[in-house]
Amino acid sequence: MIPTLIGITLMIFAISRLAPGDPFSLQSGPGGQLDAKTFGNYVEQQKKLHGLDKPLPVQYVLWLKNTAMLDFGDSIKHHRPVFELIKERLPITLMLNVIAFVLIYTISIPLGVLAAVRHKKFVDTSMSVIVFVLWSIPVMLAGQLFIGYFCGPTFKNWFPPAGLSSNDADTMAFLPWLGNRLWHLVLPVICLTYRGFAYLAKQVRAGMLDNLRADYVRTARAKGLSNLVVIGRHAFRNSIIPVITIMATLLPAMIGGSIIIESIFSIPGMGRLAFEAVTTRDYNVIMAVATIGGVLNLMGLLLADIAYAIADPRVSFEGKL
Amino acid sequence: MNSGSGLFKFLIFVLLVIVVVIQGLSIMQSDRLCERLDGLIKTVSESQIAMANPSRGDDGPGDEGDWLIWHIPAEPASLNPITGRDVYERWITGYYHNHVYETLLEYNWDTLELEPLLAESYEVSEDGKEITFVIRDNVHFSDGVKVTADDVLFTYETIMNPSIDSAHLANYFQEFKEVVKIDERTIKFICHKPYFLALETAGIMSVLPKHVYDFNDPMQFNDRYTNPVGSGPFVFEKWDTAQKIVLARNENYWGKKPKLKKIVFKIIKNDLAALQAFLAGEIDFYKRTASEQFVKYSKDPEFLEKASCLEYWDPRVAYGYIGWNQKKVYFKDRRVRQAMTMLVNKQELIDTIYDGKGELTSGHCYKFGKFSDKTIEPWPYDPEKGKELLDEAGWVDTDGDGIRDKDGVPFRFKLMAVSGSPVTERTARAIKDYYSRAGIEMELDFLEWSIFEQKLYDKKHDAAFLAWGGVITPDAFQVWHSSQIEGRGSNHVSFANAEADKILEDARPTLDEKKRIKMYHRFHRILHEEQPYLFFRVRPRLSFIDKRCENVKVHKLGLDPKEWYVPKEKQKYK
Repeated sequence: MIPTLIGITLMIFAISRLAPGDPFSLQSGPGGQLDAKTFGNYVEQQKKLHGLDKPLPVQYVLWLKNTAMLDFGDSIKHHRPVFELIKERLPITLMLNVIAFVLIYTISIPLGVLAAVRHKKFVDTSMSVIVFVLWSIPVMLAGQLFIGYFCGPTFKNWFPPAGLSSNDADTMAFLPWLGNRLWHLVLPVICLTYRGFAYLAKQVRAGMLDNLRADYVRTARAKGLSNLVVIGRHAFRNSIIPVITIMATLLPAMIGGSIIIESIFSIPGMGRLAFEAVTTRDYNVIMAVATIGGVLNLMGLLLADIAYAIADPRVSFEGKL
Repeated sequence: MNSGSGLFKFLIFVLLVIVVVIQGLSIMQSDRLCERLDGLIKTVSESQIAMANPSRGDDGPGDEGDWLIWHIPAEPASLNPITGRDVYERWITGYYHNHVYETLLEYNWDTLELEPLLAESYEVSEDGKEITFVIRDNVHFSDGVKVTADDVLFTYETIMNPSIDSAHLANYFQEFKEVVKIDERTIKFICHKPYFLALETAGIMSVLPKHVYDFNDPMQFNDRYTNPVGSGPFVFEKWDTAQKIVLARNENYWGKKPKLKKIVFKIIKNDLAALQAFLAGEIDFYKRTASEQFVKYSKDPEFLEKASCLEYWDPRVAYGYIGWNQKKVYFKDRRVRQAMTMLVNKQELIDTIYDGKGELTSGHCYKFGKFSDKTIEPWPYDPEKGKELLDEAGWVDTDGDGIRDKDGVPFRFKLMAVSGSPVTERTARAIKDYYSRAGIEMELDFLEWSIFEQKLYDKKHDAAFLAWGGVITPDAFQVWHSSQIEGRGSNHVSFANAEADKILEDARPTLDEKKRIKMYHRFHRILHEEQPYLFFRVRPRLSFIDKRCENVKVHKLGLDPKEWYVPKEKQKYK
């Protein structure tokens, strides 16, 4: 895991530094109205202040050293430790994604099972069609349509168009406040969720179909076990492995997807931070966000491995040391 | 292993996740509880000071109370007036509105003259080198400490401190030789040589309280991005990252108190979402609307019942232009540059792409201001004349391929523009079309801002589509003087004209505004003849304001929400 992580950081470091432009000239820009000579001095001085005057390999090693001690450095744009910026934003992104994640699984697994049980019947076909239609709608479009149709008095004023809470949320009691917050989360969570159904539901369906045709299921039925037990305990447990594999890749992908959703719904999460950092060449923030993304990615893989062991008794970690 | 136990464990895992989420939510809630308690304690202590210190000034019309929700499209990086760089810092706490920090002088919103604010009076010496300010006796910061000459001196010294991240400001203050404190209330700024902007530079400087901002380590000051403290009519209350910034009324303010209890700056990046929030009443003041939205809604009677649509000008509006890089062979000749202007039907572009919201402009100064020579008409759209000029300059199609050429070089160049704005892209495409009709091939290059910017300063580009922001008192030196071509100067078109250089140099020590206006009128004429830019258009400010706000006035300097109020029956927030 560690070498992978170092590889990731090295790539991001190279890409971000090789991109043209630097954070300081961007900050002042032509509108900064510095005269020619002062400007040169200013950029030099700023580079020194942030340690960007050193050769690139040295910068990378220094960064690696600091990061190992969980010091991500200061943001050039915000004048604040990157760690603080991320601490403010990561919980919001994680909350969004965990809710969406749970929703995707609780909806698409039963859907997949249902489709397999009713194979080639009306339920199965209609589910396939709906799920694939959903899958092919781009998130940007859906988000803008939601905001346009459900967030204003012109059509339906059901949901708030932006942010995480209302203007006067600070004066509310706990339950109304919680309600207000959940109400703000509805549309972003829908946008994060709806595309996830297709792949997962199809996987569950395929796995279930294989298992339902297997001999042991016939045996189970012959034993006189109820349909529910046959599907739930026998067929489903054996088809869960691919579902777990997808889990490992779905979580990081969703965190990537939240960049778009956070921008559309003005949600102050990691995605928006990352996007702004990239456009302003705020190197330390880019590096930190990418590293954390990488760690989450690897953690997803690890979690999947652990989940294999829980779901499938044939997989175990013992004796592999 | 029991066959049910795996599923059971999975369910436990899901349950744990849910518990963690709920726990997280409740932690956030208890944080909020603490914040509210803090707020309560703050209000109590403030009201005690207020009782001991009754406020001055007449109250003006209107009811007290309610909040104003003000839309901003992006979050400022910092609310520190010295290290902060973006326009939103100036709107929220800085010198545009003087909400939290105040300046020694301020521009009168209607006459655009400098008037005393924190200063009681000011005096400029005969030779223009010394400016003396006397600070009012009765002004104090929101924490009750008096504003003195020490605070002004501290602010100046902080700006000039090389370890402070303030080079963008320090550049302006280089005109001063030193700043001397005469007594507790009197401070003197001494310049190297007379300079007409010196009074504005010193006067429009947000004064920081020394006892709050004093530092041993400059990094300590650089890292201070929030919790602004000043002497203004509002105090900082809270900053919810990337969501909103809240200012509350300063109950202890030394001057005329505003009627609004709070101003909430709501950060919404997405234009459509901002419009929807305005329609739903979540936003009261949508300051910068898109012209398309404005045109559509200002005709909608239902909308007009609920909101006012204001179209107004202020000297800070930007002008759009295309800069021709004169180092390139195509644009060396003045006739070519004039022709480039005549070939484009700018009015048609404004009418079709900008929904008619915009005016043609002919120079670098604010079109309706005194420094702009109003007798100069923008070059008309005259493609025949344009083609003649190109022929005269030697650009004729000799090889019959449909593209003009001269000395074997075809007239084929690249216009670079900043990517991401559909309006800019449409305009650039339309202009390309105009030129192709005259036998000029213009390629388009849409670049991300950082790359655009670097190319601009390397001066390897052919032409650039850009805009300059406006100012109240212009000094054209940085953009147009030939000394600003080299390095990273702002004269990125390499404009060099001996007479213009002379005017720009002479204008700087000219304190007499009437004389300076004359000089600038002459300079305007030179720009018009030389056409280093294709001066394109200026765009009015287009704002939506909820009708519950009253006393909304359009000043020459724009809108000032400090004077607005909401009548009792329309108040929404407490």
